[in-house]
Amino acid sequence: MNLVTDHPEAHWLPSRHRFALAKLIAYAKLRGARDVASNAEHLILPIDRDQTSAEINGVAIWVFVTTVCYIAAALPLIWPAAIIIAIPIAAIVLQFPTVGIGPIVRMLIGDGNHIKIISAIAMSLLVIASSYVAASHSWARYAAWFFFAVLIVNGAAAIVVWFLRGPIRAAEERCAR
Amino acid sequence: MTQSAWWRRFHARGVFWRQLLRFAILNVPPWIEPIVMAFWAVFFLLWGPGRRGVMRNLKVIKPGSLAIANFFRCYRVFWNYAWTIADNVRFKELRTIPDWEFIGWNHFQAMQASNGAILLTAHMGSYDLGAHLFSETSTRRIVMVRAPEEDPQTREFEEHHGAEGLRIEFNTRATELALDLLETVREGAIVAIQGDRVVGSISTLPATFFGKPATVPAGPFALALAARVPIYPVFVVRAGRRRYRLVTSRPIEITRSRNRDDDFARAIAQWMTELEDVVRGCWYQWFTFEPYWPEAAA
Repeated sequence: MNLVTDHPEAHWLPSRHRFALAKLIAYAKLRGARDVASNAEHLILPIDRDQTSAEINGVAIWVFVTTVCYIAAALPLIWPAAIIIAIPIAAIVLQFPTVGIGPIVRMLIGDGNHIKIISAIAMSLLVIASSYVAASHSWARYAAWFFFAVLIVNGAAAIVVWFLRGPIRAAEERCAR
Repeated sequence: MTQSAWWRRFHARGVFWRQLLRFAILNVPPWIEPIVMAFWAVFFLLWGPGRRGVMRNLKVIKPGSLAIANFFRCYRVFWNYAWTIADNVRFKELRTIPDWEFIGWNHFQAMQASNGAILLTAHMGSYDLGAHLFSETSTRRIVMVRAPEEDPQTREFEEHHGAEGLRIEFNTRATELALDLLETVREGAIVAIQGDRVVGSISTLPATFFGKPATVPAGPFALALAARVPIYPVFVVRAGRRRYRLVTSRPIEITRSRNRDDDFARAIAQWMTELEDVVRGCWYQWFTFEPYWPEAAA
């Protein structure tokens, strides 16, 4: 793992972000970052794509709220009650890919890091669920449409990031130097 | 395996929870992780003795606080605890290190440059993660002293999944260990010890913490006096998701005089002042799950 020391602006290295949209925002912030102040007297920042809290927490909240909406819409209750009941159910449902598929993956390919596989499966299940809800007449279809809108924007951001890969690499090298 | 031994793995300190945590670290996607943490931190609240211990300690740290407010504060303590133990396992299994911010960098450098020192810390933030970071980045040898796991299976699991390059000593064999540590620190190594609470039957010294009588382990102070090395108060504070702040305070020098009790009393007073400042500001990550003060236990 690579580390950057004593460069507070390295918080905005695109390589420290997972999703294309976040990488693009980080690149914009990195370009604008000049002499970022830090309270720390010494700083060690690892370059890891899952390092940024705002991005990961933001995605977690978005996925959770979307799942709560889908479950609440499926419950035969008035919506305020349905949402309250859907909150703990969503927290359990989101763990199914790990608990249900994790042991199978472990059995098939052995002990080790299966995060990529579980992550792909979990996102695929979410896409399938969103496709179903988006085509329905339920109020949750707006959450599903929003879900797909975010996916499309992230896809567009991925194209922009690909075209900007040279300047991004140069900016990262300048920052980490 | 007997029936009782089979169930022991599911006790609060049983091996099942360590295995489950390791499985989660290797299988939970990062973008689901905050939800998993929030969910499982609720289960810590079902651990009655731990919950009551934290709430009683909070009552002393925050005088006049309401029980209901401390119940929610207790959740925050468990939430932070869940994150720190997860970060520690993530480091051991995936070598993922968090962001580190250093406060008191000059003291930290002085400790690294010293010819032997005691690193005195508390049960807060990620003590284990900090020690592993030192072992990988420092040129000094580091020896970590800690209480052993109560459950034999848990102890075996931790030994099997421990990080390389870090020597861990358990505080059970007092006399032997004291001599070993004295030799180690005289050779220029850094000995890391938790000095906030007394675990098991180790020798203690009287102290005052948040205005109430308490006891602290005597070992680090006796070792510093015998080896004539400074004690550096170091706190590893969790500052956010995968982000830690390492705070190093000015060293505690134990000067020898004719009255050894006074020498210890001065050093302990300085240590308790540092500890109190940190615990007051970061009460939500002081991981002391037993009532700390004798009167809080009553």
